[in-house]
Amino acid sequence: MELIKDGIRIDGRKKDELREIKIKAGVLKRADGSAYVEWGMNKVYAAVYGPRELYPRFLRRYDKAILQCRYNMASFSVEERKRPGPDRRSVEISKVTRSALEPVVLTENFPESVINVNIEIVQAEAGTRCAGITAASVALADAGIPMRDLLPACAAGKVGGEIVLDLCKEEDNFGESDLPIAMVPRTGGITLLQMDGLMTEEEIEEALNLAKKGCKIIYEKQKEALKQKYRGNNND
Amino acid sequence: MTRKNGDFVLPGDILGVSEEFIPGYGVYEEKGKVYSSITGIANLDFERKRAFVEPLTDTPPIPKLGDIVICEVTGIKEKMAMVEIIALKKNPRRALAVSPMARIYISQTSRKYVTDISHEFKEGDLVRAKVVNVKKTPIELSTVGENFGVIRAYCSKCKTPLEKKNNKLECPRCGNVELRKTASDYRKGVF
Repeated sequence: MELIKDGIRIDGRKKDELREIKIKAGVLKRADGSAYVEWGMNKVYAAVYGPRELYPRFLRRYDKAILQCRYNMASFSVEERKRPGPDRRSVEISKVTRSALEPVVLTENFPESVINVNIEIVQAEAGTRCAGITAASVALADAGIPMRDLLPACAAGKVGGEIVLDLCKEEDNFGESDLPIAMVPRTGGITLLQMDGLMTEEEIEEALNLAKKGCKIIYEKQKEALKQKYRGNNND
Repeated sequence: MTRKNGDFVLPGDILGVSEEFIPGYGVYEEKGKVYSSITGIANLDFERKRAFVEPLTDTPPIPKLGDIVICEVTGIKEKMAMVEIIALKKNPRRALAVSPMARIYISQTSRKYVTDISHEFKEGDLVRAKVVNVKKTPIELSTVGENFGVIRAYCSKCKTPLEKKNNKLECPRCGNVELRKTASDYRKGVF
């Protein structure tokens, strides 16, 4: 199967083109903060609770709040029914989501408490961890939790020998490499960096720069989502 | 880019430099610059050199001086009642962001002279109170005033909710009469 031909990818995108992205803030009424992201065929909900008192007490940190993230895929989110419940993959993604979000949330404002971030993948089509982090950071902002910045996440990878942005399902499955990152746009700091497959040093550099560009586009969309919800009733 | 007073800001938006402002609510300082940490309206006071962001989002509830809270009595000590704050009146749906432990000192229970605090509160009672001190841990509450006090009490013999009859609390099941510092709208279902 040819994944890339004359610079046009299997789903008709250019090499540095993202899938269509839609972000909405505050979609769940019961949660303290929430967000919904549609990223190509990915459909992701993020809900935030807290900060609130943490039990068991030994998990408490005297100087900061802890983050508890839960990434979960619905059994109907993938082609073949996924066995529900946490597995090796979702435990790992929960962990990297937590460590990606920790540097941007001002946890020191809420000592001895916990912030819960729940990410539900309703429909999956490659790049769910990036969509999850993108949704989670909008949900955190929607909950009024102080943050250093919003956190967009985006992947780049190597497909058919070329570096492309935001891999789709086929490219993820049959491509050579995938490199998801999360970037703090204001400082350029990277809080998530993973890689699947193989790339040379130069290729990694190129993919990283491409993914950073993607993050900036997503950052604008995140800001737009928050503006849309909160600026509507206040025209200054 | 310079910010104006009343601008709409998002987390990470720059408000100014450290020399200009002391960070207030929703503002943080990093490497000599001052940024917004929440979504809201920037409030920049150039004269008093203060910056804060007025949130447009829901915010984590933290009890402040003068806030009205609903709490449950968890224990009675010799000179105070230990309570757990269930909700803030201004944001009842969200869990408290700090420890919900609080206390009502004997002198803060009522305008009257109280000799025994167990005549004012009992374990399990629901109480409406006002925050009077947040600097101490646990924070201090007061039920002085007509609107403050027990809003739902349980019989200490059979745990049936007590009913108010001629300024007395009576158990409808066992006829036990009890003493409490009740709020004026005891068991009216008012928050």
